Amino acid sequence: MTSLFERYQTTAGTYDELFERAGVPRAGFDRVLSSLGASSADEFAKCQALAEMAMLNQGVTFSVYADNRGTEKVFPFDLVPRIVAAPDWNKLELGLVQRVLALGCFLDDVYGKQQILADNVIPRELVLGAKEYMPIVHGVRPAGGVRMHIAGIDLIRDPAGAFRVLEDNVRTPSGVSYVVENRLATKRIFPHLFEQASVHRVDHYPSRLGETLRSVSPRDPDESTVVVLTPGAFNSAYFEHSFLARQMGIELVEAPDLFVDKDRVFMRTTRGPMPVDVIYRRTDEAFLDPEVFRPDSMLGVPGLMRAWAAGNVTLANAPGNGVADDKAIYPFVPDMIRYYLSEEPLLDQVPTYVCLRDDDRNYVVDHLSELVVKAVDESGGYGMLMGPQATRAQLDDFRSRIIANPRKYIAQPRIELSTCPTWDAERRCMEPRRVDLRPYILTSREGPWVLPGGLTRVALVQGSYVVNSSQGGGSKDTWVQKEVS
Amino acid sequence: MISRVADSCFWFGRYLERTEATARLLYVTRNLAMDAELEAKQCWLPVVIVSGEEPRFMARLGPQLSNERVGDVVEFYMSWDENNLSSIRSSVEAARENARSIREVISLEVWEAINEMYLWLGSEVARDEYHSARYSFYKRLRQGCQLISGLLRSTMLHELPLNFIWLGMLLERGSQTARVVDVHHHALVLHERTHQVIETALWLSLLRVCSAYEPFTKKNRGRATGDAVAAFLLFEGLFPKSIAYCIREARSRFAVIRPPDRTDLPGGLTQARLQALDRWMRERAEDVSLGDIHELLTHVVDEVAAICTGLSREVLGQAFVASAMESAQ
Repeated sequence: MTSLFERYQTTAGTYDELFERAGVPRAGFDRVLSSLGASSADEFAKCQALAEMAMLNQGVTFSVYADNRGTEKVFPFDLVPRIVAAPDWNKLELGLVQRVLALGCFLDDVYGKQQILADNVIPRELVLGAKEYMPIVHGVRPAGGVRMHIAGIDLIRDPAGAFRVLEDNVRTPSGVSYVVENRLATKRIFPHLFEQASVHRVDHYPSRLGETLRSVSPRDPDESTVVVLTPGAFNSAYFEHSFLARQMGIELVEAPDLFVDKDRVFMRTTRGPMPVDVIYRRTDEAFLDPEVFRPDSMLGVPGLMRAWAAGNVTLANAPGNGVADDKAIYPFVPDMIRYYLSEEPLLDQVPTYVCLRDDDRNYVVDHLSELVVKAVDESGGYGMLMGPQATRAQLDDFRSRIIANPRKYIAQPRIELSTCPTWDAERRCMEPRRVDLRPYILTSREGPWVLPGGLTRVALVQGSYVVNSSQGGGSKDTWVQKEVS
Repeated sequence: MISRVADSCFWFGRYLERTEATARLLYVTRNLAMDAELEAKQCWLPVVIVSGEEPRFMARLGPQLSNERVGDVVEFYMSWDENNLSSIRSSVEAARENARSIREVISLEVWEAINEMYLWLGSEVARDEYHSARYSFYKRLRQGCQLISGLLRSTMLHELPLNFIWLGMLLERGSQTARVVDVHHHALVLHERTHQVIETALWLSLLRVCSAYEPFTKKNRGRATGDAVAAFLLFEGLFPKSIAYCIREARSRFAVIRPPDRTDLPGGLTQARLQALDRWMRERAEDVSLGDIHELLTHVVDEVAAICTGLSREVLGQAFVASAMESAQ
């Protein structure tokens, strides 16, 4: 019988997630791949269309700001799963926990004694000069003692097959709803495949999130009111906000639904004011509290920061976390791990040039066409230069921007992102496409927990390295295999 | 329950009910225009009047109305016109937009059903169906709404959110019935010497508009006089589209939202007004003559509008918005 993967070619100098080389599946994946490959191109195309239709009907969408009318789009979903073998995952899990612990220590330190700055492990001006460093948070110990309740760490896999951290997201990482929805779709469409594969579940994430949030309440967790705060139905991640609120069985609120009285937060209900203890906020910091951030703005909840500083309400994640996932701080995370935990980092990251340093900047400016340059305060694939693919004009533009404002830029060599077989609807066959991985880590009062799975984003355009949903990326279900007993 | 969420629930219910009512009204009117010996305009213009759209409609489309075209123009205006806030398309979009903003409150089944109806209405398939099979176009809309009503009842907790949705549906339905009866009544009074056959056709079509034909015949053994039809649609306490039923049920939904003995909770004025209207309807049911109907219906429509306004201010958070604006200034 011919297989859909029969003609699948891996890319030279690139790690493939499922195949060792053309025709040879990685150890432990052969059974899944042979049954997945057994369907015809027609059948597979039909399944793919079915999955997309289900997502549209369920409104599993994200909003595109640039569009006027049809403002919602389905996040393209590719049915070929990305599989992670148990030993690889176990290693990864330990590394993620270690990293999250160190970042947490760093935040407590920066908004406390600032010992790491006093010891010159990280340049003081780099930290205190970061746009996301918030002086008003200094001295505040949040209720529950946790600042980074939800973290999403972006990973890529290098040609040798090693996971490397590309970026930390410790403010309001999004995407976890797709992890759960993608799994539902895969299970519905390939039930038989699933039974063979022995994969860790992911659908308990919302209940773990609920427990995490209750655990850090200023009051008795069982008596606490937890809410999700959304900017509203027009936000690009609105689906996820409502999804999480629904799955946790708690209220989804917008800022005008809340008010602060005597440093306590209340929500306006049909039966009058009701106290709120924990807010999982999915709004930007700048729109949390107009008293503090944007006096000119009507958005936000006046007095929210006072209530938080008084320890009367828990904000998840805590304000001010942006200083820890600043792209210019990233190169120092391995040093943080050594400094706070006295351990060697378990996860590699990508070598990074900090343009603020003279030597680094000179190198970057001279080697622009080999590097990936990123603005430290932008995300979503914006403010980025892909040196090897850039035009001369783009290179010149970035060169002058870097010289004018070096604090704003970092540069990294381009890593050959790993590939994963992906359905190409036009060619009607499996093609290698670049992927990354965002696992989610929840930190409760008891410590971190890693969801066994995560969001695999895939660059659907041939040859592309950009996986962001705003720029032609899609997603895949991520299967973490259970240990063979 | 968050006031803003309650507001969206309430309006979700209203728009859903309005969608169904409009689809039914258009379908029935089409039938009427085909077999009654009535002028096309006499059949179709009441549809626009009932929706409260007459001035805008006449200003925009009045000049091109002939007896041959009036049906098509009205149907298109009431089905598709984006600028007509009462069109089916606007109602479905508004229902879906409200549902989307309370996605965490309604059940997955309800959400899928409204979202699928919205996607279908925006598709070529629906356009084609409208042009080639009008009957099934309206039927699909009606069934879509009925499916959602059933799912609301069978897949959601019977607690506050559902009560707000029902409250919206009941108040919308009560005032739709009032408007539709009023318009028909008006047409009949204008043509006092209308032929008996035509008059009966009009009353029967009115019953069909309210899907009341069979229930009515069961209660009245098939004798369709104007008085009997009007009394049925106004006062029949066992018929779920009668005004009396809607008001009574709205009153008991609201008593769940705000128990009458909880005088500490907001909503006292709304409750008093609903109770008064319910009582008033019962008193009027004792003796009613066709001559008083217009005055009675006007009172119902005005009172329901006043109740909705009071509700937004007292319970649905509009007062908060106002006070927030003041304190911000």
